[in-house]
Amino acid sequence: MEEYDIRSAASILASVKEQEERFEQLTRALEEERRNVTLQLERAILPPNPSINQPLAWQQVVMQEQSPSNATSLAMMQEPQEVVEETVTIEEDPGTPTSHVSVVTSDDGTTRRTETKVTKMVKTVTTRTVRQVPLGPDGLPLPEGSSPLSSYTDSIDRRYMKNGGERFITPQATSTLTRAYNNSYTDSYGETPESQYIRHYGLHDGYTDLTDNYGSLSRGINFRPPRYPYIPNSYRPENSYTLPIRKDDYGHVAQPQVPMGSSTVDLNRSQPERFQPEPYGLEDDRRSLGHEEEEPYELEPDYSTANRRTLPGANRGRTLREPLRDVHRVRGYPDDPIEAELIDERHPYIHGMYSAPLAQPERGSMASLDRMAGRRSPSIDSIRKDPRWRDPDLPEVIAMLGHPIDPVKSNAAAYLQHLCYENDKIKKDVRQLKGIPVLVGLLDHPKAEVHRKACGALRNISYGKDNENKVAIKNCDGIPALIRLLRKTNDMEVRELITGTLWNLSSYEPLKMVIINHGLQTMTNEVIIPHSGWEHEPNEDSKPRDAEWTTVFKNTSGCLRNVSSDGAEARRRLRECEGLVDALLHALQSAVGKKDMDNKSVENCVCIMRNLSYHVHKEVPGAERFQDPSALQPPGSVGPQRKKKDDAGCFGGKKAKGRKNGENDKNYDTLDLPKRTEPSKGFELLYQPEVVRLYLSLLTESQNYNTLEAAAGALQNLSAGQWTWSNYIRATVRKEKGLPILVELLRSDSDKVVRAVAIALRNLSIDRRNKDLIGSYAMRDLVSNLPSGQQRPAKNLEEDTVVAILNTIHEIVTDSSENARSLIQAQAIEKLVAINRTSQSARETKAASHVLQTVWSYKELRNTLTKDGWNKSHFQPAVTATPKATKNGKPGYDDTTLPLMEKNQDGYSTIDQRDKDCKYKTDDSLADLTEREPLKNDTNRKHYIRSNRPAVSLVDACDVKPQPVDSWV
Amino acid sequence: MSFVPGQPVTAVVQRIEIQKLCQGENLILGFSIGGGIDQDPGQNPFSEDKSDKGIYVTRITPGGPAEVAGLRMGDKIMQVNGWDMTMVTHDQARKKLTNKREDVVRLLITRRSLEEVVKQSKGKSPQTVIEGHRATQGQQRTKHFHNC
Repeated sequence: MEEYDIRSAASILASVKEQEERFEQLTRALEEERRNVTLQLERAILPPNPSINQPLAWQQVVMQEQSPSNATSLAMMQEPQEVVEETVTIEEDPGTPTSHVSVVTSDDGTTRRTETKVTKMVKTVTTRTVRQVPLGPDGLPLPEGSSPLSSYTDSIDRRYMKNGGERFITPQATSTLTRAYNNSYTDSYGETPESQYIRHYGLHDGYTDLTDNYGSLSRGINFRPPRYPYIPNSYRPENSYTLPIRKDDYGHVAQPQVPMGSSTVDLNRSQPERFQPEPYGLEDDRRSLGHEEEEPYELEPDYSTANRRTLPGANRGRTLREPLRDVHRVRGYPDDPIEAELIDERHPYIHGMYSAPLAQPERGSMASLDRMAGRRSPSIDSIRKDPRWRDPDLPEVIAMLGHPIDPVKSNAAAYLQHLCYENDKIKKDVRQLKGIPVLVGLLDHPKAEVHRKACGALRNISYGKDNENKVAIKNCDGIPALIRLLRKTNDMEVRELITGTLWNLSSYEPLKMVIINHGLQTMTNEVIIPHSGWEHEPNEDSKPRDAEWTTVFKNTSGCLRNVSSDGAEARRRLRECEGLVDALLHALQSAVGKKDMDNKSVENCVCIMRNLSYHVHKEVPGAERFQDPSALQPPGSVGPQRKKKDDAGCFGGKKAKGRKNGENDKNYDTLDLPKRTEPSKGFELLYQPEVVRLYLSLLTESQNYNTLEAAAGALQNLSAGQWTWSNYIRATVRKEKGLPILVELLRSDSDKVVRAVAIALRNLSIDRRNKDLIGSYAMRDLVSNLPSGQQRPAKNLEEDTVVAILNTIHEIVTDSSENARSLIQAQAIEKLVAINRTSQSARETKAASHVLQTVWSYKELRNTLTKDGWNKSHFQPAVTATPKATKNGKPGYDDTTLPLMEKNQDGYSTIDQRDKDCKYKTDDSLADLTEREPLKNDTNRKHYIRSNRPAVSLVDACDVKPQPVDSWV
Repeated sequence: MSFVPGQPVTAVVQRIEIQKLCQGENLILGFSIGGGIDQDPGQNPFSEDKSDKGIYVTRITPGGPAEVAGLRMGDKIMQVNGWDMTMVTHDQARKKLTNKREDVVRLLITRRSLEEVVKQSKGKSPQTVIEGHRATQGQQRTKHFHNC
């Protein structure tokens, strides 16, 4: 994104400069022209001398042609605006069978971000198109490509009439500079048919509900070679879009029918019959200009001439196709004497000038130039305030998405994107106005500019809490469309937008599977693998590539992170997605190698890995082959051959000095590892011993709490299973000196890190050696996280975290009087008793109570406890302890930290386990515990309902006919 | 999230609007409900508190209107078109939902995940990243010149 910013900023700057230069050139030329004209005018006014006038007129025409301008030059010099404007310029020459349509659109970047160093204000211009329907004499649109002269001009006439009519409004309204220009050609037209004239018309239909942040100079001066005003193919009449006209805007439309004499007739005569210049904006210009600048516009009478002259023609044209109201509009003015009077008052010069007509063409061009030059600088501000300009409203913008001209589409989409930014109301409105399917449709548009903008709009729309917007995108097949575009485009910005949109969509549960179904492999192949640096068949000569933390990668990994939490099926799909796990691991290893572990991409990758590690021991194909029969034995059966002191060094290395690595390796080898004949790949990598080192590195180096939590969570998941691999993982964590790293993180400021680490330690202590070590070295840190009675510790850990820690402590002291002794030495009893008696949380109370009962059960410790002043009553459940748990015959761990889910279906029922495993007085068997911990799941409902609370049997609800009344609605 | 009859309920609720689907002569919502004050709350597989006699969503038709609208299994229905659902019989709830004169049903529901989101507490393992939304920088308006 940033690269793009810089690039586009530079290009904007360059083009702005270019525009400035042109503008300056133009200004100079115009200034010169203005002086010239003033001189001529003075001469002309005194004694009308046709013989002089004629050449002068010519001269001016020439000047016009030389003016180094084009429509864009002015258009781009506008102030920052929030709108998109398009100006359509048509040059026409009835005599020449060619034409030109110029579409000038500018979009803006305002000052943008400071680092882009774009100081030039650029602006958005709103797309305002005007109907450009060439109509045949019968009033029907001409077929594309056919433009018989007669019908053609006819249609132009009518169109002009319409525009002109629409835009006349408030007399005091300022007009835009370009309209002044228009006058020039209109006037000069008759005499110099070969001279060019330009028609600018926008959709300035006289809307008065303008916002003042809108304005446009885009109807710039256009001097173009004479051309036939042919309508390009893209202007299909049937597709032409016209801003709807609002009736209430017509209040003061009026064309000042300034009384005028013969010049009208002359002019009409001089023109080809088929061309009827209509009063497009002329009065408007004159009025506003005269009023605003208070300059004597000698040419005013002339304008009125033109107006009047054109009126009949315009009306004629309009009768063919314009609604009647336009007639009123056009004709209304003369009927309104007040309006006329106002105008007249405002333009005292008008009347005076009638008596001194100049040659039409001369005056026309002169006037236009005059105004042009005069208005140049002040125009920007005044135009901005022009009340006739307004932003297109939402239905209009959405309609523009279907405009036949591509830039209109893209500008409309860009404008929508802007409107939707952090505006939930607009997003909703766009949805309700059915804008989303149109935007999705534009994703398949061949032009990059169009699908880029559409994608940008969709990204903004898809962002936010309103999931209905996301659903709406899905419902019109937006997800496959996005994926299609991702496959197709190489434009990095578009890819960022696509993946950003997908990320947004992926945050809504019901869409996750849809995204997986349509896009998983594509996202993996197109983004994850290439950016991770992983290569399917690495070239042995080349160095392994590092991951690139691009925005695209970040977005895509964020999307996959979200979808990876959608349950067992989603996990299965991701695990089996070819190259995904490999690439993620490679990216993470690259991050560790570069010590660049705090970024969001790494966080996303670790979270995906964590999620995919969940339940690997049950879900991966062939997992049953690795089920460890010894797992059903009491914990500690793993690696019993090792001596305690061999491992003590894992904590701080106190005893490690004398040990040789060989010893470690030997111990390592004594584990019964599943043997592999070929390198692991795909999902197998999830639980290979290598990942332990990776996660431990992340836990050591990363400063990102989410990454820390996820890495601890991954170890927690991997150490939870009842299969060979989890035995191995638990031992590997110890071997890799991971326990001290985890214990260190118990001091983290982050609640969720502490919680994840505590639960990981609980799972790791399934391994007897780990349990001894954790009991010896981690107890103080565990205890220090406990609140002292009602007083919360500095960290103010959440209830869940406190309960998790208590459960971990319970696990550690269970079946280990040594660890219970450590607990006492860590001054934990006081805290536990306080929690048991005074905690506001029933869950904390219950968990603390279990620990206390376990401690008291070690008779050899009672002496010590009594010496410290405790007695049996302290170790009894508090009176207030929740009776519910015991009532259910399940006074075990508080399992709200052990959520539920998927236990029954997997056959790991607590009850079964409890029955088998009588040595645990509290009914939480270890096996059960290990299963439950990692089960702690997201908010996923379908897991949630798998809760195996005794009173609830979800199996009943789902698989068997439910006993309770259950009604479909 | 326990609901004690007679006590004020504090819950994080979500509005869900379901457009009924015309299926033959019937308008259907595409989910089933369980619970009610005339039902045995101990049978309710969804309530955390087994004494809750509220109305819960028990099943959802895949692809049906309810699913599309975002309703989920286990959601507790608090209101239907403004009618309280926390103290009604099963049949009363069913009737409110199946009123043939209304083709849109507005539900106020609560679910544990909503509470959890609010509490910012997250689960351990597969974890939904609610913050996954992408803060868009879509605003960047760049200048474009189109000259056609």
